[in-house]
Amino acid sequence: MTITVTPEAFSFVSFDSAYIARIATHVAEQLGLTDIDINIAVDETSPLTRIDVEVTDSLISIRPLSGALEDTRRPRQQSELATTLAMARSMLRARDRLRGGFENAPLDAELTLPQAAAWDTYILGRISRMDIEVKKQAALYNFRNRHGFNDASDHVFEKIWNTDSVTWDELSALSANTLTLSA
Amino acid sequence: MKKFMPVEELARDERFNQITQADRMADARSAVPANAESTRRSSNRLTPARADASDAARSLMHGIFVGEIQALEGAGRTCWDFTTGEEAPFGLKLDMARQAWDEARHVEISLKLGDWMGSDVGQYAENTVLFQAACSNDPVLRLAGVNRALEGLAIDVFTSMKEFGEMAGDPYLEFCEDWMLADEVTHVKMGSDWLRKVTENDPERRKKALEFQSIVDKMFSYGGSRSDSDESSLGIARRFRELAGFTSDENEHIAELGLQALEERKAQIREKQAAAKN
Repeated sequence: MTITVTPEAFSFVSFDSAYIARIATHVAEQLGLTDIDINIAVDETSPLTRIDVEVTDSLISIRPLSGALEDTRRPRQQSELATTLAMARSMLRARDRLRGGFENAPLDAELTLPQAAAWDTYILGRISRMDIEVKKQAALYNFRNRHGFNDASDHVFEKIWNTDSVTWDELSALSANTLTLSA
Repeated sequence: MKKFMPVEELARDERFNQITQADRMADARSAVPANAESTRRSSNRLTPARADASDAARSLMHGIFVGEIQALEGAGRTCWDFTTGEEAPFGLKLDMARQAWDEARHVEISLKLGDWMGSDVGQYAENTVLFQAACSNDPVLRLAGVNRALEGLAIDVFTSMKEFGEMAGDPYLEFCEDWMLADEVTHVKMGSDWLRKVTENDPERRKKALEFQSIVDKMFSYGGSRSDSDESSLGIARRFRELAGFTSDENEHIAELGLQALEERKAQIREKQAAAKN
């Protein structure tokens, strides 16, 4: 496994590429992604939090905007927790596509907002069980924004949050059914 | 108790991290494209259709929360800093006391909305620019800066958040923002009425206050975060502003200032990004 981080030196933010690589290595080991190369290209010109992830059989490409790794209390400073979360979210998404029953999932850009929220819930639930600090209420709020503010939606959220194994077909069906119930 | 307290002395516990407007403007990154060729999204309006809508709404909610604390401090200081009768009429101070009570309630509501949306107190940096506008030693300038500019901004922000809640189907957010919005309209109206009354026979002082308001309004456009452009996350809530006593001309002036601030910020970003690349 080789992990590369670009840029090597940051001009817009006070981030450390070696630190990002160390965190990424640790997370990759925790997730059993030691047999694949990982390339992390940070776009430091945007403060937004989006992360693009692309996967082939031999390479995971993670492209976070700088806000995804930032300490929201101290603008332009790197946060260890945010970096860990960004790496774990990206790598779990990649692992799902590679070997987690998500082969049928559309490309990230083609996911609907409810589908993306359901997948993110599945990812964050598993991260919370890796002893990484995750704000469950924030994930619930995002799920509600995409599936409705009602008991049926909350029930499905809990189900997805607590599962350790679900396929894309099962997850997308859960999301679609919740939308039908909320309509 | 000390009078005319500077922004640096605002009491906060260790959960808060304060930044100034200068810190914020020193950030060369931009959510809006600095040039037309950029492939980044062209609309930054805060709507549920944005992929990062939940994060953006949470961050704005925290901004509202700290803004309410500073508005409470601003209105409270106006009650205390000026001598009753000589420097500020009793009725004006009574209105500021009522406003302080409203803002205290807004702080509590915003705190609970933050819990509901999944954020912690102090999770985001606190920009102290709002209180800075409340540090003038002339009560009329306070009215212009706090009641008309700051509370005018609050009308724009609450309208955006209320619409966000409505579109997302979030009953609590929509309801709470609607009620707070009603209070903000009242606060602006109080500012407009007192400004007119206190400067009735002093056109020069009124002119100075309106000039100060214009400066603060531009500052509160946060580098174009509020304007008629879709590149800004907040729009200008003309209808509620008119209910609060802003004239159409004043609203157009604020819209113009917002666009100016946006263009200036984009030019600044282009310059900083070019410098960073060299």
